[in-house]
Amino acid sequence: MTTMQTEHSNSTGAQGGAASFLMDHEYDGIREFDNPTPGWWHIFFLATCLFSAIYMVWYHMSPLSTSIHKDWQNQQLAEYKKIFGGLGELKGDLETIQKMRLDSKLMSVAQGIFESNCAACHGKDGGGINGFNLTDDAYKNVKTIPDIFTVVTAGANNGAMPAWSAKLTQNERVLVAAYAANLRGTRPASPKAPDPAEVPIDPWPAN
Amino acid sequence: MAQVTSGVETHGFHGSVEAGRAPSRRTSPAALETFVYDDAIVRMFMVATIVWGLVAFLAGLFIALQLAVPQLNFGLEFLSFGRLRPLHTNAAIFAFAGNAIFTAVYYSTQRLCKARMFSDVLSRLHFWGWQLIIVCAALTLPLGFTTGKEYAELEWPIDLLIAVVWLGFFGTNFFMTLLRRRERHMYVAIWFYIASIVTVTVLHVFNSLELPVTMLKSYSVYAGVQDAFMQWWYGHNAVAFFLTTPFLGLMYYFLPKAAERPVYSYRLSIVHFWSLVFIYIWAGPHHLHYTSLPTWASSLGMVFSVMLWMPSWGGGINGLLTLRGAWHKLRDDPVLKFFAAGVTFYMMSTFEGPMLSVKSVNALSHYTDWTIAHVHSGALGWNGLMTFGMIYWLLPRLFQTKLYSRKMAEWHFWAGTLGILLYVIPIYFGGITQGLMWRAFDETGRLQFPDFVETVMALMPFYWLRAIGGLLFIAGMLIMIVNAILTWRTRPAKYDEPVHSAPALSPVYDDGPMPEPRLHANTQFAKDVDSRVIQGWFHRVWERKPAKFTVMTLLAVVVASAFEIIPTFLIRSNVPTIASVKPYTPLELAGRDIYIAEGCYNCHSQMIRPLWHETRRYGEYSKPGEFVYDHPFQWGSRRIGPDLAREGGMRSHDWHVRHFEDPRQMLPQSIMPTYAHLLRQDFDFASVQGKVRAMAMLGVPYGEVVKDGVAERLAREQAAKIAAELEAQGGYKDMGGKKIIALVAYMQRLGTDISKPADAPAPEAVPAAPAASSARSEEPVAGAGR
Repeated sequence: MTTMQTEHSNSTGAQGGAASFLMDHEYDGIREFDNPTPGWWHIFFLATCLFSAIYMVWYHMSPLSTSIHKDWQNQQLAEYKKIFGGLGELKGDLETIQKMRLDSKLMSVAQGIFESNCAACHGKDGGGINGFNLTDDAYKNVKTIPDIFTVVTAGANNGAMPAWSAKLTQNERVLVAAYAANLRGTRPASPKAPDPAEVPIDPWPAN
Repeated sequence: MAQVTSGVETHGFHGSVEAGRAPSRRTSPAALETFVYDDAIVRMFMVATIVWGLVAFLAGLFIALQLAVPQLNFGLEFLSFGRLRPLHTNAAIFAFAGNAIFTAVYYSTQRLCKARMFSDVLSRLHFWGWQLIIVCAALTLPLGFTTGKEYAELEWPIDLLIAVVWLGFFGTNFFMTLLRRRERHMYVAIWFYIASIVTVTVLHVFNSLELPVTMLKSYSVYAGVQDAFMQWWYGHNAVAFFLTTPFLGLMYYFLPKAAERPVYSYRLSIVHFWSLVFIYIWAGPHHLHYTSLPTWASSLGMVFSVMLWMPSWGGGINGLLTLRGAWHKLRDDPVLKFFAAGVTFYMMSTFEGPMLSVKSVNALSHYTDWTIAHVHSGALGWNGLMTFGMIYWLLPRLFQTKLYSRKMAEWHFWAGTLGILLYVIPIYFGGITQGLMWRAFDETGRLQFPDFVETVMALMPFYWLRAIGGLLFIAGMLIMIVNAILTWRTRPAKYDEPVHSAPALSPVYDDGPMPEPRLHANTQFAKDVDSRVIQGWFHRVWERKPAKFTVMTLLAVVVASAFEIIPTFLIRSNVPTIASVKPYTPLELAGRDIYIAEGCYNCHSQMIRPLWHETRRYGEYSKPGEFVYDHPFQWGSRRIGPDLAREGGMRSHDWHVRHFEDPRQMLPQSIMPTYAHLLRQDFDFASVQGKVRAMAMLGVPYGEVVKDGVAERLAREQAAKIAAELEAQGGYKDMGGKKIIALVAYMQRLGTDISKPADAPAPEAVPAAPAASSARSEEPVAGAGR
């Protein structure tokens, strides 16, 4: 492009039907139009700036906004209320665990806890992988139902079973102990054979 | 060949309306100088672009297939995903895009400045130095030598080489060419090149500050929150000043050349250049939303990203509107097709970027494949297609012949574009699917998919489609390679080297009169502002002062950075200390280095966000004070596997060793590579002393442990203890001297300090099994405030 031209909107798309002026310079044959920055560009740019200013003031200076951490806390309170309702802090004793075993809604919650934390070693259906099979009658560190809660809380076998007291709340440990008790007698897909150290124990007391 | 006299200096500011009038010219009194452009160097960079492009794309396809078929690493540690993913990203960014940038800069700068590059020697040093860096990367990364910081993985000797080649060879050569130019004013492409060169230097130097431990191992001088901030200040602006601004420069030169149309708007160039340069640099923290980064920084990252939308689009609309009046040429010209599609992908990515940086969107998208889709629409769509367009435009010019086949170029265009779509669209679906599965709760309030691997299995069909898309993109690339070779074969026996001539710049220059004010302003001040600033006259003056222009660009970038960096380092409340957080034991520290070397951070995060579904899945959310000894941080950016921030104490040693030996022993659907070599290879106990000393120099309170022999003794004691526990748990014997013990020690430490009492044993003592002190607290612990 060597000569200077005036071009019109129908061919060049200049704003508002006005002529496009070429700038009075060229670089290696490249010319530039003197078109104005599009109006909508200015409007959008100012709108994003305005949004940003309002956001910073609203989020960081006004009492109307809540922080990410406060939100999380509120949700935790709401969810715990929803799950545990008026249960308060559960005890890891026989009576409480037996009661929990019959609560299908809480056992569904417990299933989630089990699958997130326990299934890696004990299998999703409790059949055992490198952790013990929880569905048969042979146990090593458990004689009674509250023993399950104790093992979950404090761990066992040189740390092969980790202690969960720092990972799960008391209520979660009670629930997951109840869930594990319920696994006894179920039929997993590929049950692991009992370890020599495991011995058969009495059936759970009637519930 | 005939002498080509290129244009003489033009004066005046705004053009005249009078149609057909030639630009005002004044014959310069200076004598004409003759010069020849160095196109040989451009040919070299272009060939390197093509070669490394193929390598980068094939590496990408290979690791993409590994996600669908984990056995494809053939059980070799050098081919595992964690080691090859950095190779893929570094090759794509620094080898493919890097050489493409140099091709564009060396071709266009000479012509825009009417000057040969300052020094042929520097040009060759630059070329061979850069290829050497790439070869070093290709050798060290698969061998596990890495700093563990994304896109900055190369170890310290290579980092030094990068600084020398980039600034010493390339920068010097470029700026000296500017000083010796014969064109008075610098065209917009040059502005973008200047911004790229100075900013990449600043980013590289400050993010790569590291303390060498051995010849191929170093620790970042920053730790935890600060390291994360620096890393994403760098990482995001590598996208900005390596993958965006140089390619905008490329666009501003090659697109109007190919379209044979004037650039749409000079004023838009000015406005979007400065807004882009100033705003981009703030946006890094949007990679760290909901993490332990202070909320104020996260908010700044978000709002500056939102404000970045229009400055980015300024380049896009200037490119697309330049094609107005040339749309009919697109039918026949594959070069313009590549450019039009490339700019369109740019505009889609730069809309998507601000959207993803909005916190609530990011809560869903972060750690998923959505991010992967986003970067590939930018990298393949914008960087790839623009590069291909440039190469097709250059091939006949550099080889001084006709392009062998226009039809093959057309095929490449369609294969490439469809390949990108077939890559990106399934991965969008995959990313959103997985993000939604992670946060799904059923009506009883439990996670609907508590088993992480279920959410991975859902991605498999998308992974296969993505691989097919990538294959199609590579097929297009292969067509180009054939076309390029066949074009090259018809080159002349000897390249013609046209001699150009232009007058040297005179030392004095009259900028001409300031433009008349267009405002009906009352005061002289307002009139001055209109003439000088609003009509851009001041900028026209800057454009003929490269040194001043460079300093102003540097100032824009550095001042903006300082606003974020200084408070991040100085405000104490950003990282509230946690008394129970102690340094890693020597063995754990060495295990952490294995974790880094294997590239575990490519698939696993160590950052639990304060989102309800995450704390349900992984446990207590991460606190800033937990990372104060993490040189470098390992928060990760994608969860191909689950988060590991609270992994310590979750499983037995036995489980970990079995899982590393073959993850599918423990979880049949797992797509994790096998790490059986860690059970075979001996652990070098003598190496721990140097590691501990380096950490102590960085301020980690190791006390007596730095004394001769102490660290090694402690490491041996802890290894023996873990090996004994391991044997008791499941029967693995004689593992006490293997690398796996160090890695298991590190895994069992992860995220456990926070639940220990504040006076827990110092690192001198070997820690007992994870302490069972307090239950997960119902209230957030220290540092929860924003």
